[in-house]
This record gives sequence, structure tokens and C-alpha cells, in this order.
Amino acid sequence: MIEFHPLVKQLLDGELTLADLPPELRRQGEAALRLLAAVDREPVTLPPAVDARVMAAVRRRAAAPPPSFWRRLVEPREVRFRLRPWTLAPVLAAAAVLVLLLGRPAPQPSATPTTVRFVLFAPQAQQVAVAGTFNQWDPAVAPLVRTGAAGVWAVTLTLPAGQHQYAFIVDGARWVLDPAAPAVDDGFGSGRRNSVLAL
Amino acid sequence: MKTLFVGLLLAIGAMPVAAQQDVGARLAGRVPPEVATLVQQLAADAAARGLPVDPLVQKAIEGGAKGIPADRVASAVRGVAAQLTAAAAALRQGGLTPPDTDAIAAGAFALNAGLSGAQIAQLVRPGASAPGAAVTLRVAGTLTALGVPATETVALVSGTIEAGESPAELLTLPARVQAALAHGATPAQAAAGLARAAAARANAPGQNRPKNPHHP
Amino acid sequence: MSGREAATDGAVVRAVLAGDTERYAELVTRYRDRYARYAARMLGSADAAEDAVQDAFVRAYDQLAQCRDPDKFVGWFFLILRNRCFAERRRSRDVVPLEAAGSIVAAERPDGTMETAERRRALQLALLELTPEQREVFVLKHVEGLSYGEIAERLGTSVPSLKMRMHRAYDRLREQLRDPA
Repeated sequence: MIEFHPLVKQLLDGELTLADLPPELRRQGEAALRLLAAVDREPVTLPPAVDARVMAAVRRRAAAPPPSFWRRLVEPREVRFRLRPWTLAPVLAAAAVLVLLLGRPAPQPSATPTTVRFVLFAPQAQQVAVAGTFNQWDPAVAPLVRTGAAGVWAVTLTLPAGQHQYAFIVDGARWVLDPAAPAVDDGFGSGRRNSVLAL
Repeated sequence: MKTLFVGLLLAIGAMPVAAQQDVGARLAGRVPPEVATLVQQLAADAAARGLPVDPLVQKAIEGGAKGIPADRVASAVRGVAAQLTAAAAALRQGGLTPPDTDAIAAGAFALNAGLSGAQIAQLVRPGASAPGAAVTLRVAGTLTALGVPATETVALVSGTIEAGESPAELLTLPARVQAALAHGATPAQAAAGLARAAAARANAPGQNRPKNPHHP
Repeated sequence: MSGREAATDGAVVRAVLAGDTERYAELVTRYRDRYARYAARMLGSADAAEDAVQDAFVRAYDQLAQCRDPDKFVGWFFLILRNRCFAERRRSRDVVPLEAAGSIVAAERPDGTMETAERRRALQLALLELTPEQREVFVLKHVEGLSYGEIAERLGTSVPSLKMRMHRAYDRLREQLRDPA
């Protein structure tokens, strides 16, 4: 890579002027200054609609009742469907039999991945995603989609055996626990927690 | 078959080294540079001591994704390192030597959920097989996270293992507790009920007790 | 015309935490544009900046109880916005920055020459190829006009490490922008 001469970098930093450069670096100095001249310093003003949108979100948060109360009153039972490990029992039993035939005790319950359905009741949300240890906590890779039931978001993922921690992200900014799952301290202080799932 | 099994064990043993080289790549762009440096140091130290590296990296990535300030991420990662160390010590006390990394990670999770080192040692003592220990501790941690008091958790998990249930069935304990919660039981009551049922199965006369897969 | 003096940031934060949610709007109006340019140069377009600033204000409200020094709300808010800008870049790494190019062109003043507009766009695209840390130090110094000392204080890092980052950015920009000839 062609690098700027250290003196030209000092020029760019504003510590030298063009006149301070030796003649052989003059051209490079001018090129550097042209680069800086191309910087867009125009102030950016955002539309006042931003205020309205922020306050709308803030008011929703201030008004929402606590999740556990919500869940008991409002969340229909069928929404909290999670593919439970014991419904996979026939598959696991077959695997266990196969391993026994090979002459070893079953080393662990399921080396095969498990299908898990994540569900969240969030009628006011514009977008919902789930992020956790199974997807590098990246909010972009596992968005939930609206299901047929009003306000219900869901996605089905295939996860490996192990201990998983996760949370939902609502509208790209608000981290929300799974109301149907156990929760542990996330270690970042202030009582923040993650939802957990053991497979 | 035995050669295949041993080969598999060797392959698993070699993974931590490769995983360590990946640490920098996994953190790039996700955490501030000072956090990445710290995590790499802690990861190298952990790998040298036979501790799992992944929980450290996961915690740092989590902090980056959540927008946590660098100093809080650093202290959280250090916290994970301390939990891993304590979990390994508890497992050795429980008779698991050397403890495998899955079991250590599960132990650290159980500590974070609120179980003590002594309780972790107690949980793994009856079953000295390592994969069984990881599942046992994951389930115990999850039950505690559900609100089951620590002593009830230990009683329920130990009782379920003694009753001969397989690790796969152990994993269903949290869901069974949650089902009881939905019917109005407290976590302690739900756990006690399930523990009683397990004890009844264990003591039922004349029944063929299934071979306990936790006892090697 | 109200005779009331504008309340300090600390007073507004404390009022919101005490339950007067509507007063949060004062902070939003006060600082909506403060870092808009920073976000626009970091993300490549005013639209992306609008989303980022909006999200940052909402996240700041969610975490308002964690703001250790309410009188320094704006510095704390900047870090939230900064994290959001860094996260956004990670998400859209695979997205071709055509949107960035289009937005820059649309923002050009009509009195600018075509050449200037092209060079501005080229530099903004080149900036997007830097790492977020490199782009940030360049933006804070050459767009926002902060000194190395001021940047170091804001980011909690040292001047030498900033200079190293910046000089690397200069070289990478030069590499991106030199004529193919």
C-alpha cells in the first residue's frame, strides 16, 4: 500500500502547514489537502417527526403493564407452544436403542439439534428479533414474523444441544425477556437478565 | 468401535486450541479493541488451565450487541472467568477429574443462576460421567432460574437421577416445573411434588429399575 | 413567551425518572441534531442517521436509570448513539452502499460543481470502507472539528492510539481514492 509520508500525516492532522513541507513532498501534501477538502461538513438536521416518534415509543413504554400481569390476563395458552423435548421422545428412544446396539451407554441425551419455537406477544411492535448465544447475539439474523394471531410474533429455529441464553429485541432497540422462560443475571449490572433454555 | 471413540475424544481435546485462534476473528468488529485484547488474554489463560473459552467470547459478543460500555463488558467477562474457575474447583471436589469443558461451562451457568459450589459438587457426586454432569448442571441452573430454591433444586435433580431417569428426561424437568407453575403451584411446591414422584418410582417394590446411565 | 429558564439536563432527567415522562421531549428537541452529522457520516446517509438517532433516544429512555451523571446526559447519550452506529455498520456489512451514494448526491447543494459532488461521494464511500473505529476518529476530527485531546476524553482512550488509528485511516483512504491510472 502507498502510504502518506509521516510529515504529510502531520499536515493532515493540522500540525504543519503546506509551507512547512520540503519541496519533494509538496505534491503529496496538496493531494492530501484535496482529500480533506472533499470532506462533507454540512450540518445535518433531522425532521421534527423524530421527536414525535421517540415520544410515541417512550409513552408506550411508560404505559405498558408489567409483563407477568399481561401474560396471565391476555396471552392465550396456545401461543406459548414450545416444542418440548419429550415430544421428541420416540426419536430419542430410537437413538438410544441404536447406541446400545453399538455397545456403549448413551453418552448424552441428544447430539441431534432440537427445534424450538420462539414466541412473543407484542402487539405494538414494528419488528421483533431473537438474539442469543446460538446466533452470536446478532439481532439481524433471526427476525420473528407476525403469525395469524393478532400481536403474536414467532420464529422456529434449530438449536444444538447445550445451554442457551437469549432475549428478544423489539423495534431494534428494546431488549425484552421471554416471559415464558427462566431468567438469569446477564452480568452487565443493573439487574439486567437473559432468558435461558437448556437442550 | 473403541478406536473410533478414542479418536473422537482426541479430536474434541484438540478443539480448544483451534477455538483460541478464532477468538480474535469472532470478536473483530463486535467489541471495542480494549475489550478484545482483554478477552484474548483471559481466553489464553483459560485454555491453559483446561477451562472453556467459548463462555468468555460469548459474554463479550453479548455486551457488544447490547451496547454495553466497555468497562462493564470487561467486568462481566472477568466475572465469567471467575465463575469458570470456581466451577472447575467444585467439579473436582465432586469427583470429576479432570472436569471436561462442557461440565465446567454448565457449572459456571449453575453458579450464575444461584447455586453454590458445594451444591454443584453435591450434584455431580452421584454421577461421575462427564456428559451426564453437564446436563445435570444445566438442568439445575435452569430450575434455580425458574425460582426453585437451591436446596429444592438439588433434591429434585438428585432424586430424579437416583430414580434412574436418563439425561434426556432430566432435561424435561424445567418444563414439568413450569407446567405445575401454570396450575398455581409455587416453584418450591412444584419441585417438591416432582421429587416425591421420583422417590416413589425409585422405591417402588418389584419394579425393574432402569439402568442408571449416570453411573458408568 | 415563557419566563421560565431552560432547565438543566440533570433536572430534566431527574424529572423524567420521577415519572414526568413528557419532559423527555425536551432532551430530544435539545439534542436531536447535535450528533446527527456524526451519525450521517458514520452510517453514510441522513436516513440512516435519522433511524440511529431515534433508536438511541429510545434506548436512552429505556436505560435512563443507568445514566450515572444526569448532568452529563449528552455525553452518555453520545455513547449510546455511538454503539448504535457501530452495531448498524456490522449489520449492513453485506449491503452495497448504493443507498449511501444516492443520499449524498441528493444532499448536494445546487451551487456545487459536479466534480466537488463526485469527490464528496467518493470520500464518503471510502470512509464506509474503513473500520468503524477509523471512520469515527476521522469524522470526529475532520467533520466535527474536535482536537485529538477532546476525542480522547470523549472516547476514554489515549491520544497516541487515536493518532495511530487516524494515520492508518489516512493511508486506507488514499488507497481507496487514488486514480486507477
